[in-house]
Amino acid sequence: MISKDRNTRCKSKDKNILIAVDGSDNANRAVLYVGDFLGGLPGFCVTLLNIISEPPADYFSGKNERDKWVEEQGEKAEKMMEGYRDILIRAGFTEDSISAVSALQDCPSIAECILGHLRELNSSTVVVGRRGITRKEEFLFGSTSSKILHEAKDCSVWVIK
Amino acid sequence: MPENKAPDYVMNFSDEQLKEMIAECVGAERVPKQISIYTDTSDFYRIDYDDVVVLDGRPYLIRNNEREGRFGIEEQQKYWVKRARDLTDGSTKILKLTFLERFEANVGGLSFECFRSPRKEARILELVRGDSNFMQGHSVTDSAGNIIRILDFIRGRTFADFILELGDSHEDYFHRNLPAVLDEFIELVKAIQFLHSHGEKHGDIRRDHIIKEKQTGKSAWIDFDFNYLHKENMFGYDLFGLGNILVYLTGRGDVTIQNLKEKDPMVFGRLFQDDMNIIFNNRVVNLQKVFPYIPDALNLVLLHFSVGANVYYEDTVQFLSDLQESRDKM
Repeated sequence: MISKDRNTRCKSKDKNILIAVDGSDNANRAVLYVGDFLGGLPGFCVTLLNIISEPPADYFSGKNERDKWVEEQGEKAEKMMEGYRDILIRAGFTEDSISAVSALQDCPSIAECILGHLRELNSSTVVVGRRGITRKEEFLFGSTSSKILHEAKDCSVWVIK
Repeated sequence: MPENKAPDYVMNFSDEQLKEMIAECVGAERVPKQISIYTDTSDFYRIDYDDVVVLDGRPYLIRNNEREGRFGIEEQQKYWVKRARDLTDGSTKILKLTFLERFEANVGGLSFECFRSPRKEARILELVRGDSNFMQGHSVTDSAGNIIRILDFIRGRTFADFILELGDSHEDYFHRNLPAVLDEFIELVKAIQFLHSHGEKHGDIRRDHIIKEKQTGKSAWIDFDFNYLHKENMFGYDLFGLGNILVYLTGRGDVTIQNLKEKDPMVFGRLFQDDMNIIFNNRVVNLQKVFPYIPDALNLVLLHFSVGANVYYEDTVQFLSDLQESRDKM
């Protein structure tokens, strides 16, 4: 885990919204959408979740290279989360209703990692951006938003295009 | 003697001893006058024919560099892959020396990051020890800490080349040979499923990475040192490779629109974009249109790899289940 800034203020599971972000344009759209849709409404909280999928140990030539990579990812994540936080605050969320989690983990499937955090974070809604990948890409690489749609249980899924 | 003189702890052989061993192995007339001995293989370009590499106390006489060609590209020398003779028992081995590389692979216009990992291959060799569906060998470290894989040499040719000679015609091949070919392929897919179930990718599944051993006729996967940074589906690229091989085996070679246009314009006229390979758009996947005796069940498996597919296989278990079912119906 790189950083964990968890919100403990949100009492209602139904009003705790998890947004999965990765710095892409589609993640940006997802944050903007939640801001526009729920900003200023009382009782809602947002958890920004950034999964940093760690490459296999074989990828790195040694510990130093891995440590450098982790540090860079951490810095990038921190900056990215600050940007998203600003968007939500401008949209009417209070500072203490936003929390951010950056998780560095080995993820055979990013969708499964996101859903794992969703259960752990006591949230009933997950919001993801949709990249609009081609069929070729979906075939070869898979689609995180499609997998979340198929695998999610006992929660709502918002896919923002 | 080369600059990287072997440290005493592994240098158990005098030049005279080595010359005797070489004579026994390849004949007295082929013993080199001077022997260069290496225990550090970092600079693998320098290690050449007739040199001796000592690994884990065993001397290996280096023969040629292995070569690899791909899709019409002329074969290239792989300087880090040496054919060698184990001087203690005369057996032929492949020494894969450490060569680290990272590169952006481009498949059908999609790019992703690939890298070569000796550690991964060493791990898989350990995992599949004794499994005849995989090449066999073990790993050691040289005096510089490089991971070297010492592989049993498989005498034979690729499974892909082997099937090209089966049958008098495709129809003859389909009825007489394909069932057995599919049985063999199913065993190989099970082997890949075994890797996946242990969290390992093969990394470079392609038809020339299955070698059919000449004497036993047994086919085995080779070359596990490639890896790729996966996105959502960890095994998507491996599955793509399996699909390509299945299409190739079913068609007894690649069936391309270029060939059909020339040799069978009627069939060519019946093909649509949806019938083609989702990545390699010139290869026909809907082979039933070309060979009408291909049963629906098998053709449906093939269509998962076509442009027109609505669903894709997410894992080897699904693929294997459908493949087995289609084979049972043949």
